[in-house]
Amino acid sequence: MTKNESAREWLYAGKSILFVYGNFFYWLFKEPFPYRQTGEQFIRTMLEGFGTLMIGAVVQGLFLAWLGGHYGGRFGAYIWAGTATTFAIFRETSVLMAGTLFASRVGTAFTVEIGSMQMSGQLDALRLMAVEPTQHIVIPRVLASIISLLLLKALSDGVAIVSTMFFLKHWFGIAYPIFLEHAFEFLKPPILTQSFVRAGIIGFFIGLNACGLGYYFQGGAVELGKTTTKSTVINFIYVLMVDLIFQVVLETTGWGTV
Amino acid sequence: MIEVKNLHVSFSNNHVLRGLDIRIDEQMATVVIGRSGIGKSVLLRSLCGLIKPEQGSILIDGEDITMCSRKKLLKIRNKIGMLFQEGALFDSLSVYENVAFPLTYHHLFSREEIDRKVRTYLDFVEMQEFLDAMPSELSGGMKRKVAIARAMIMEPKYLLYDEPTNGLDPYSSAIVEIMIKKLQQELNITSLIVTHDIELTHFIADRIALLERGIIVSLDSRKDAFREDSLIYEHFIKKRERIQQANGY
Ligand SMILES: Nc1ncnc2c1ncn2[C@@H]1O[C@H](COP(=O)(O)OP(=O)(O)O)[C@@H](O)[C@H]1O
Ligand SMILES: [Mg+2]
Repeated sequence: MTKNESAREWLYAGKSILFVYGNFFYWLFKEPFPYRQTGEQFIRTMLEGFGTLMIGAVVQGLFLAWLGGHYGGRFGAYIWAGTATTFAIFRETSVLMAGTLFASRVGTAFTVEIGSMQMSGQLDALRLMAVEPTQHIVIPRVLASIISLLLLKALSDGVAIVSTMFFLKHWFGIAYPIFLEHAFEFLKPPILTQSFVRAGIIGFFIGLNACGLGYYFQGGAVELGKTTTKSTVINFIYVLMVDLIFQVVLETTGWGTV
Repeated sequence: MIEVKNLHVSFSNNHVLRGLDIRIDEQMATVVIGRSGIGKSVLLRSLCGLIKPEQGSILIDGEDITMCSRKKLLKIRNKIGMLFQEGALFDSLSVYENVAFPLTYHHLFSREEIDRKVRTYLDFVEMQEFLDAMPSELSGGMKRKVAIARAMIMEPKYLLYDEPTNGLDPYSSAIVEIMIKKLQQELNITSLIVTHDIELTHFIADRIALLERGIIVSLDSRKDAFREDSLIYEHFIKKRERIQQANGY
């Protein structure tokens, strides 16, 4: 593939995403609101995302426990291991981890599904039946993706904390009461709030980017493969960008910092 | 009656339809025959307003769908059913749900009435035993039949078929052909079929149009189209023999 073709493909992906944002907000406030489809997609995204995100949370617990235990030991500050790790989870790692895993597990599924619907004429069949695919297909998936990522993030926060606690005890002998004593000391409400706001925003971007790439998909099986890869890459970049922007906002406003 | 005048459609540099004219008369089967990639699907998609042409008019019972509002377009589209290439059934819905979908989505009838209609049309296409099957469990021919039932349930006046027998074995092709003919004769549907299947054309067509270079280059009755001096005969039967001969067979 030449450089030119590659550039054109990325340009097209960018255009798809731009268009789907306009479409989304245009149709969001039109009747009929797709309640049932949103419910169905919510259940589906929860089921699809659950396993992957929970495994991710345990792994997160593993490395935070190792870091916390290791440095806690070096500086003779075991007592603060709980504080440092829970703070890291809420301030940073859980949203990053949940976002990237959700994008690879659920986002790509959206892209492939909608892309193949476009390829096989199912989206046109809907239009012909006077059903707007943005309303029937895109909006439910995006809303489901926001809600599911929020819930899955909350769950994975819990799992990550419990597994950190478990591994800290297992490897470094830090008893649960010691962990818990200072664990939530710095978790002021703003830190929790920003963490969830970030998850919601990331859920929105992941869902809409993934749907847009499928919605405006053109081509055959090979292109669908490439588009799916783009969906993952673009969503990873979005997760990092949102993170960066939040970092800057938090630092400048002092919201959610200690 | 559908009347297409001076239709131009292009995608960036690819000028696909270049001033196409055609008239689809009522209660007749018109077949547009043309090679792959020549713009047959583009023509059908323009006719139901899925593609906006850059020039020309498409009159459906006298109303121009290229100029009207979305609301009006939806209303005119009610008259049109389309059988997409490969059927385009919704993979996440069963056969029954697929056929019922347009009615249930718009809450057009009571549940009992919808049930009655779905069963009637699935009977018509002889798929009554597969109510609960998922599209992935059906053969190519069965998918087309279900798609025909789904298109029929809105009781359209016009039915557009995009290569209805493409990729089917001769037995399934025959069944789909008969289905189209039955619809034509028993329900008085006006049909427009695009295909490159010459056997299907011979069986079904009242009139045959040849699509080449983005325009209709000839429009004949079936009898005339299959005469040895016609353009269609030239393009679809003789050309094949000539290519075979040119390669020494
Ligand atoms: N949405 C589209 N965007 C860009 N090009 C298209 C699109 N749809 C069709 N084309 C091009 O138009 C031409 C005719 O396509 P089509 O109507 O599908 O051919 P066929 O006669 O086989 O049905 C092809 O060259 C195809 O690449
Ligand atoms: Mg085609």
